[in-house]
Amino acid sequence: MPTIELVDVTKTFDEGKVLAVDNITLKINDGDYVFLLGPTGCGKTTTLRMIAGLEAPTRGKVLIDGKNVEGIPPEDRDMGFIFQHFEIFDHLTVWENVTFGLEMRGYEDDYIIEKAEKALNTVGLLDYADEYPSVFGNPGLQKLGIARAIATGAKILIMDEPLGSLDPKVSKVFRHELRNLIKDLGLTAIHVTHNQEEAMAIADQIIIMRAGRILQMGSPYDLYESPNSIFVANFLGETNFLQGFVLKLLEDAKMEMWIRLGGPKIICNNLNLQFNLDDNIIIAFRFEDVYLFPKGYDFENSTYDWAGVQLFEAKLEASRFVGSTKRFYLSLDNGDKFLSIKSGSYEENFSPGDDLIIGIHIDDIHVFKAPSDLLYETSLS
Amino acid sequence: MVKIELKNISKSYGKFKALKNISLDINDKEYYIILGPTGGGKTTLLKIISGLVKPDEGKVLFDDIDVTEMTSGERNIGFMFENYALFPHMNLIENISYSGRVNARDPEMTEKLVEQVLMMTLLTGRNKARPEELSGGMKQRVALCRSLLNLEQTRLLILDEPLKALDAGLRMKLRRELLLMAKSEQLKLTVIHVTNEEQEAMMVADRIAVINQGKLIQVGTPHEIYYLPKNLFVANFMSEINYFDGKCIKEESPKWNIYEESLQKDKFYEEMRQKSTPMLIDLNTGVQFAAYVNNKVYDDINHGDKILLVSRANHMKIRLGNRINQKKNAFFGKIIRRKFMGVFYRFEVVTKIVGQDKIIVVTIPATSEVHNKFKEKLEVTVYFPKELGIVFKHPGQKIIKEVLKLE
Repeated sequence: MPTIELVDVTKTFDEGKVLAVDNITLKINDGDYVFLLGPTGCGKTTTLRMIAGLEAPTRGKVLIDGKNVEGIPPEDRDMGFIFQHFEIFDHLTVWENVTFGLEMRGYEDDYIIEKAEKALNTVGLLDYADEYPSVFGNPGLQKLGIARAIATGAKILIMDEPLGSLDPKVSKVFRHELRNLIKDLGLTAIHVTHNQEEAMAIADQIIIMRAGRILQMGSPYDLYESPNSIFVANFLGETNFLQGFVLKLLEDAKMEMWIRLGGPKIICNNLNLQFNLDDNIIIAFRFEDVYLFPKGYDFENSTYDWAGVQLFEAKLEASRFVGSTKRFYLSLDNGDKFLSIKSGSYEENFSPGDDLIIGIHIDDIHVFKAPSDLLYETSLS
Repeated sequence: MVKIELKNISKSYGKFKALKNISLDINDKEYYIILGPTGGGKTTLLKIISGLVKPDEGKVLFDDIDVTEMTSGERNIGFMFENYALFPHMNLIENISYSGRVNARDPEMTEKLVEQVLMMTLLTGRNKARPEELSGGMKQRVALCRSLLNLEQTRLLILDEPLKALDAGLRMKLRRELLLMAKSEQLKLTVIHVTNEEQEAMMVADRIAVINQGKLIQVGTPHEIYYLPKNLFVANFMSEINYFDGKCIKEESPKWNIYEESLQKDKFYEEMRQKSTPMLIDLNTGVQFAAYVNNKVYDDINHGDKILLVSRANHMKIRLGNRINQKKNAFFGKIIRRKFMGVFYRFEVVTKIVGQDKIIVVTIPATSEVHNKFKEKLEVTVYFPKELGIVFKHPGQKIIKEVLKLE
C-alpha cells in the first residue's frame, strides 16, 4: 500500500542560486487525496515533480512505501499522471490513447483490452472508444486523461492543475466527479493547485506552501477552523482582519484589545499567555461568525446565551444577495472594513447607512502577532 | 452622467458569430455585470462598448448620443483588459500616471490620486518596479490602478475579468473595494464588469446580464437571476442544482390540494408565490410533487407535457430517517458522501426513482452545527419547499447534456 514520505527535502536550481523547496518533511497516507496548495512560485510543483521522479532532490530523501526511490525513473514508480493541458494524442482514437502506454510496457493483448475497457468504463467514455478526442470538450479530454492514468493500474495519481483548463463553472461540477472517482478506486492522489476553493472542496488533506516551505498541513476543517498564520487564514478566504494592540491583560488567559485609530475595544483569548501589554496584534474572524443586530436590540430580554459574545457598533455600507448567502459590507468609525455573511433567506432588512450592533463570539476570534512585514498583511482589513 | 444603450448589436469574425442581435440598457451609476462562460462573447461586447471593436450591425449610445463611429479615445472611458497591457519600458508609477500626463491633468492632483489607488491595491512601496519584476496579480492591480485614474473625467469604468489572477484573500478585498468605491458619494460610477464567476457577479452587481454563445440570455438583479432563471443554462450557472425529469399534471381533482395547505410564512416565500402559480408534477415516484411556477412558464405548459424540475442544492432540506409520509416534495435515500467545503457541508444522497439510482446533492451551512447528525451511510429524507422548485418545459436530453457540458 503506497505511502509517500519526504524527509528533509531541499531543491535548488541554477547552481544553488534559486531555492525552490526549503527543507520540507511530509507524509502522505495510503488512500488520501492530498493537495499541495499555494501561490505561484511557492514550490508546490517542484515538490510534486520530485515525488514523481521528474526532478531529483538536491538534499533529502523521497520514500515510497518506506523505500528510498532515488534514481528510480517516473515510469517505474507506479504512478499515473494527469496534466493541466491533458496531453492527449489527437491523431489516436480514444481507445488508442488509453492502450498506447500499456502497449509500450509490453503487456499481453488480453490484459490490455481488459484494463482499457475497465478504465474507459470507469470514466464513462467506453461508448466513445472508436471516436477521436476532437469530439470532446475539455471535461471529456480530462476524463480521457484520467482513464489513461488509471489504466496502468497505478496506485498513485499525480495531478498538476488537472482542473486548470476548465471553465470555472464546469470545473465546479467536475471536481466532485474527480474526487468520487478517485475515492471509489481507493487511489492515493496528489493534486497541485493555486485554487483554494478547489482544494477545500476536494481534499482529505491540504499542505499549504509558501516560499518553498510548508506553512500548515491538515484536513480542510482543521485549516479552516484553526489557521496557524495570517497567511493561511487569508489564503483560504472569507476572513476578516482587524489590527490593534493589547490594552489590558485579564484573568483566565484573556486580554482586552483596542482596535487601531480609535476603533472599538474587545476581549479576546490570550491562550498560552503569548501576548503582552502593548503588543501589536491582528485578529482574524470568519465572515459567517459575525452576527448582526439592529441598534437598540434588547439583549437583556433575549433568551440567547450572551456569555463570551463581544458586541460593538459598526455601519452598514452595502449589502449583496449572493444566492446561498447574503453579504453585509460593514465599517468601523476608524475606517476599518469587514464583512458578515448570512444565509440567502436571511430576513433582517438593513439598509446601507444603518448603524448596527455586531456580535462575535470570543472563541471565533483568532489572534496573531502583527507581522513586521506590513506591506501585504496589514492592509488586509 | 453615463447611461449606456446597445441596440441590436451583431458581430462576426469570419463565419463565427460572436454576438447575435444584443440589446441592453445600462443605467447611470449602475454596477452592471456581464456574466457567462469563456468564449460566450463577453469580451467582444465589452470591446464594442469601449470602441475597440466596431459592430457589424447595431448602435452604441452613451447618454442618448450615438457613439458607434467614435474611437475609443473619444469615448473617454477608464478601462482595464485581462492581458493588462502595461508598458514594459516604464516602471510601476510611470505606467500608472501615464494617462494622467497624456490627459494633461494637474500633476499634483495626479500624484495624490496615484497615491490613493496604490494604497487601495496594496502596491505602495513598489513604485520603481518594472512590469517584468511583478507577479501576474500585481500587474493586474497596476492595470486596475491605471483604469481607476481615468475616472475623474469619465465616470464610466470598464473591467474585463479584473480579479482573475489574484489569490482568494486579495480577490475578496478588491471586490469589496470596487463595490464601495463605485457606490461612494464622491465617485458614483457606472461600472461594467465582465466575469465568468457567478459568485463574483452576485457579490458586486446591481444587475447581471447572462451571455452565452453570443446571445443575451437574461438580464436581472441577482435575486431574479437566481430565483427566476429563464432556462436550465442560467439555473445551472448560478449554483449547483439537482434536476428531475417529470410530467405536468393539470387535473381537476389532484391528490395534493396545494391551495389548502399551510404555507411557509416568510415574507420571502410570500414574494415568490405572488409571481407564480402552483403546478403539480409527476416524477414517476408514485407521489405528486409541486412547485410554484413563474406565471408565464405555467401558461406555456399543458397537462401531460414533459417538464424539468430543478432544485438548488442549498434549497434542499435534510432530516434523519424515512419521513416520506410527513414531508412533501421528499425523497428517501442514503447519504453516500459527506464533505466539508468551508462555509458549508455538501452531502450526496442516493435515492431510487423508477428503479434507477439518482444522486441528490444537499448543502447546509457549516455554522448551523446540525450537520454533525448526518453521517455517511445513514438513511435520510431530503425535500424542498414548493416555493423554491424551478420548472422548465423539458428541453430534451441533448440540450441538458450540452448545457451541463460534461463531455
